[in-house]
Amino acid sequence: MNSLRIARAALRARPAAIRAPLQRRGYAEAVSDKIKLSLSLPHQSIYKSQDAVQVNIPAVSGEMGVLANHVPSIEQLKPGVVEVIEESGSKRFFLSGGFAVVQPNSALSINAVEGYPLEDFSPEAVRAQIAEAQKVANGSGSEQDIAEAKIELEVLESIQAHLK
Amino acid sequence: MLSRAARPALRAGAAVSSRAAAPTATFATLREIEGRLKSIRNIEKITNTMKIVASTKLTRAQRAMADSRKYGETSNKVFESAETKPLEGEGKKKLLVVCSSDKGLCGGVHSGLSRYIRRRSHEDPNFDLVILGEKCRSQLQRTNAKNIVLNFAGVGKDVPTFAEAQAIADQIVQLPGDYSDIEIVYNRFINATSYEPDVITAFNEDAIAASPNFAAFEVDEELLSNLREYTLANSLYWALSEGHACEISARRNAMDNASKNAGEMINKYQILFNRTRQAVITGELVEIITGATASEDM
Repeated sequence: MNSLRIARAALRARPAAIRAPLQRRGYAEAVSDKIKLSLSLPHQSIYKSQDAVQVNIPAVSGEMGVLANHVPSIEQLKPGVVEVIEESGSKRFFLSGGFAVVQPNSALSINAVEGYPLEDFSPEAVRAQIAEAQKVANGSGSEQDIAEAKIELEVLESIQAHLK
Repeated sequence: MLSRAARPALRAGAAVSSRAAAPTATFATLREIEGRLKSIRNIEKITNTMKIVASTKLTRAQRAMADSRKYGETSNKVFESAETKPLEGEGKKKLLVVCSSDKGLCGGVHSGLSRYIRRRSHEDPNFDLVILGEKCRSQLQRTNAKNIVLNFAGVGKDVPTFAEAQAIADQIVQLPGDYSDIEIVYNRFINATSYEPDVITAFNEDAIAASPNFAAFEVDEELLSNLREYTLANSLYWALSEGHACEISARRNAMDNASKNAGEMINKYQILFNRTRQAVITGELVEIITGATASEDM
């Protein structure tokens, strides 16, 4: 047991160990079928390196699911739903876009500008705002107004699609 | 501020005691002391209120700081694991972004940053400055005016928002200069009484692409410029909120000290006032008695 603890400490002290893969088999492997998720917003941290089984993220290059030991990558997120599957069940958050980075040591960090649990959105409010944004987008405002309304529409429609 | 206001008062106070011997001046001195006491009491009231205001703001600012720090650390983790370093050599300029604010009365928060910049400019003057907040701008205008390329006023009135950081980052990205990397200078919050100038580095695309462990990541090259802008905004937001928390806590401490000093001065002046009054009464008594005995003898 003692030697195991030392081995674990050594692994923790040297996150680089993962890059030279599996030099030391044993205890660490049993732990690492979970991915450590950090999901943070400017005003709140939803997850702080907590364990998750799988995380589905809406990357610009396509929806992707991230499991433990995923290959390190950097992905830009489009507005959409992040699904966090934990052992106790799954949670869904709508993020307004940001970046997700899969770190080499089975950690996933997601940074987003805004994000809320999906069940907190009210379908009526979304519908009303879509109508408003469409009016601006088809109206005769300045070019900037129209572009802003189109982005708003994109986000809102994405929310609506997920709420159904 | 208090010490500056108190100094002439003290000097005037010293003059008073030497003048007290002349009886005609005594009444005026009493009134003078009274007036001074009143004004110090007012100052104490003001500083005390400012302290309470800062205390209430502090909890909110600290919570915002904790979240933003987590956010910034999460966002910069990728550079840590990629071991990104600023590109050396080529004589390219650095860009220093100084996160101060518009308001004073908060101890050495702003001058600490200015001093840090001046020290940097002694070591290596090859940089440009972007200054957030009026305080540092007016301080650095005197020494490093030619380095300043951009400055923002109206920052740090309240807990900073991400939209502010984004707007600033957008302006910084649009600067024409070709910079090797961007360093954000801010006050790092150590505990409620101490802070120190620190730096968050925001790398440019070439530095990110050239980092030693970057090959381990799967990434679309086109994303890099987006990533860079986004992390710049994130780091700015982090620096702004942490600087804001430092400022508020420094203001709380400064106002606490000012109120304490004012309290001490009030005590001192109260004693001086009582003694002088006693002296005046004694003087009058002596006059009356001497007069009475003199007229009895006649």
